Amino acid sequence: MKRAFLGEFEEVVLLTVAILDEGAYGVTITQEIEQKTGRSVGFSTVHTTLQRLAEKGFLSSRMGGATAERGGRRKRFFTVTATGRKALLDVKQVREELWGSLPPQTLQLMGS
Amino acid sequence: MKPPRQPPSPPRWAQRLLSWWGHPDTREETQGDLLELYDYWVQTAGKRRADWRYSLSTLKLLRPLAQTNTTQYPSPFFLNATMIRNYFIIAWRNLIRNKAFSGINILGLALGMSCSLLILLWVQDERGVDAFHANGSQLYQVYERQYYDGKIEANYFTQGLLADELKRVIPEVQLASGLEDIAPITFEAGKTINKQNGTFAGADFFQMFSYPLLQGTPATALSRPGGIAVSRRMAEQFFGNAEQAIGKSIRYQDKEDLQVTAVFENIPANSSQQFDFLRPWVDFVKLNEWAKNWGNTNPLTFVQLRTGTDPVKVEAKIKEFIYQYRAKNTGSRTELALQPYPEKYLHSTFKNGQVDGGRIEYVRLFSLVALFILLIACVNFMNLATARSTKRAKEVGVRKVIGAVRSALMGQFVGEAMLITFLAILIAVMLVSVLLPGFSMLTGKQLTLPIDQPQFWAMLLGLLALTGLVSGSYPAFFLSSLSPARVLKGGVTFKAGATLFRKGLVVFQFSLSIILIVGMIVMYRQTDYIQTKNLGYNRENLIYIPLEGDLSAKYDLLKEEAGKLPGILSLSRMRESPTQIGHHINDANWTGKDPNLVTSFANTAVEYDFVKTMKLQLSEGRDFDRSFGIDSLSYLINETALAKIGYKNPIGKPLSWGQRQGTIIGVLKDFHFTSMHQAIEPLIVRLDNKRQWGTILVRTEAGKTSEALAGLETLCRELNPKFPFTYQFSDQEFDKLYKSEQVVSQLANYFALLAIFISCLGLFGLSTFTAEQRTKEIGVRKVLGASVASVVTLLSTDFLKLVLIALVIATPVAWYVMNQWLRGFVYKIDIEWWMLAVAGLVAVCIAFVTISFQSVKAALMNPVKSLRSE
Repeated sequence: MKRAFLGEFEEVVLLTVAILDEGAYGVTITQEIEQKTGRSVGFSTVHTTLQRLAEKGFLSSRMGGATAERGGRRKRFFTVTATGRKALLDVKQVREELWGSLPPQTLQLMGS
Repeated sequence: MKPPRQPPSPPRWAQRLLSWWGHPDTREETQGDLLELYDYWVQTAGKRRADWRYSLSTLKLLRPLAQTNTTQYPSPFFLNATMIRNYFIIAWRNLIRNKAFSGINILGLALGMSCSLLILLWVQDERGVDAFHANGSQLYQVYERQYYDGKIEANYFTQGLLADELKRVIPEVQLASGLEDIAPITFEAGKTINKQNGTFAGADFFQMFSYPLLQGTPATALSRPGGIAVSRRMAEQFFGNAEQAIGKSIRYQDKEDLQVTAVFENIPANSSQQFDFLRPWVDFVKLNEWAKNWGNTNPLTFVQLRTGTDPVKVEAKIKEFIYQYRAKNTGSRTELALQPYPEKYLHSTFKNGQVDGGRIEYVRLFSLVALFILLIACVNFMNLATARSTKRAKEVGVRKVIGAVRSALMGQFVGEAMLITFLAILIAVMLVSVLLPGFSMLTGKQLTLPIDQPQFWAMLLGLLALTGLVSGSYPAFFLSSLSPARVLKGGVTFKAGATLFRKGLVVFQFSLSIILIVGMIVMYRQTDYIQTKNLGYNRENLIYIPLEGDLSAKYDLLKEEAGKLPGILSLSRMRESPTQIGHHINDANWTGKDPNLVTSFANTAVEYDFVKTMKLQLSEGRDFDRSFGIDSLSYLINETALAKIGYKNPIGKPLSWGQRQGTIIGVLKDFHFTSMHQAIEPLIVRLDNKRQWGTILVRTEAGKTSEALAGLETLCRELNPKFPFTYQFSDQEFDKLYKSEQVVSQLANYFALLAIFISCLGLFGLSTFTAEQRTKEIGVRKVLGASVASVVTLLSTDFLKLVLIALVIATPVAWYVMNQWLRGFVYKIDIEWWMLAVAGLVAVCIAFVTISFQSVKAALMNPVKSLRSE
């Protein structure tokens, strides 16, 4: 099977959704990424990425949880699907393999 | 306590935008998320940053920009972003691939549009004249309708006291003001001496017209005797600035000292009244005794009616107004009438006592020409597009098979036309900005591209939409109607209708061009005729010098001294200048005059040597002569006047002018003293060598004008040190009478050339296309022995036939239209057959050259090349 391709930002978003677990929706995801990575991300970027991930089948979503501060509008909560989890694991595995095959002297040069 | 503060909320427009254009599937949560984030941003980064971020996110979420294809197969909506992109690509590729055709299209359209744009700018400017007065809708100009001699005539000349009396007597008249002729006057203040144009106006003038005052108040600017209101320009020239000028004294014509009572802003270019100073009406009446007589007219009169007054009722009320002040005379009647002031500039000529036309005719004419030229350019586009549609037919077939609906295809082709039009407009705007200074000079206006005005952009957009729709409509209808099965099977055969339509368009195009060429020829001939027609006096080498200041008293000395100067043949003077004889009397009397006849005579007062200096011809009698002591009661009349009077042997017969009983001493051959639009009027000339003002006429020797002028200047400076030396050339003054005709004639030249050029561009395109299509046929013909000449004939006849048909259609139309134009002149040329023939010949020749360019090329081509492939 062809391995699922995840872009760098897609990976970050997918991971964040996984971290936030039940409370993952647009706002929390955006804020979480901002806090965790320290980089400023646009809401629209996050939104489009979420849409794309949902389209690829890595995320599933459900509506709910309307509050007054959002003008009574519902949120779209995202959860990582089985394929999503697999994709994350795949990526992680690839990374680890790559790290593992670094020559020790290079690793030392990098100062870790 | 402070009221609770409204929580900050994101920009309204962005919220709207999102609710309209956000993707329907995700609209709800994005709206909610953004609201929540907005609060967060407000707390962390402040309201401004939050607004900014909110708006930016919204924009990025709008549909065409955001990735929203949630369904796997997007619906084939023809305005889908992908489709639009595709249309653009196809249009662009087509443009690039057929550089020649695209070039012809864009160039033709650009030329046509820049021409229309220039004309539109001019028309807009014309329509904007006098439109800026705040009270515009209540301002009216009074004109007088005269019934006499079985004729009705109207003009703007009114009585000197009319304005004040109207205001006093008619309650509906809120404000009223007279205005005298604007004339150059010499002023002196401190060391500065120069001439300024201006006149007298009523006390209400600045309250009626919106000329802003920098100093002084509208109510008092023209109320004090001995006061003067000057423009900012004049104030700066004499006193440095407006504040300095107020209250200062300035010397008027070296006669009176006036006090500056107000300074007004320079009169804008779009005002039909142009002056640099105004003096109060009270002074005018004081200085001009004649103005109190209700039988005399000259000033213009303006009134401002109270708001909500019906001008028709006021008009009925004042119809007989002047008879409250003067007795009725038998045989003639004068009525007052009102014309809305803002309309006056464009509608200022009268026919049968009614406002009939004026500049508006040129405005209409040029608007029509602009439309024509644009149409010609559009026709090019339509023709080339339909002709070349065979090449696009396959594309249409494929699109239809895939599922394009007809409206989608039409949208595509109209859109393509719009794209080309857009490119053309870009070029046109650039062209216009380059040509505008020249065009402004030609038309005597200060036109600028009003890029800061939304109307201008609206106009461009309108032009784009109009041109795009017109030029794109036929190809759109035609191409979208093709049936895919037939097209894809191979070979589209055009129905006869399509070809006929194309031919019709060519005929239409050439008809318009021929009409414009005829117009060009006729206008050129007429202006030429006017300028070279024998006026009855020699207008070359004749100089006018205003008689003013000390010159009046020292006139005899001047005449004597000037006679000794080199290059001066003779010198005389008259009350006005030869092109401005405008004073009329109707109290001339002679033996045998029908007592009921009221005839108006133009008249002037001159000095000795008038006939000699003007080089007029006497048909009978003699000029005024010093050797006859009693010439102050002698009259010269012109032939028209003689015909009116009806004497058999006029010399020595009595003629009286008011109280002056005199005799006729000579008959002048008719000469033109008004414009050629009018017939020569009967004229009476009398001798008056005591007059204080007027024009000195100087006849110089041919080729010695500069010497004569230099001599005159020193002489005048010496005799009249308080006045600058100014002079005018007779021929230039004469040309001024026909300024608008000259401009029109020149513009007509350009437009006709442009029209024929654009038409030929189209023809060139079409002939290129046919030649291309018939390459094989020509190859076969040549192989079988056809000569180059026969092939050229074959390719050319089709087009030439069309041009000939156009000629047949255009000739009567052109003849009719030009006759209408010529009707405005009393002295005019006849439209001769050769003018039409030349126009036709020019059109045919140019068309032939254009076509043969391609047909010769096609005929000379080696048949091996054209037949090799397949």
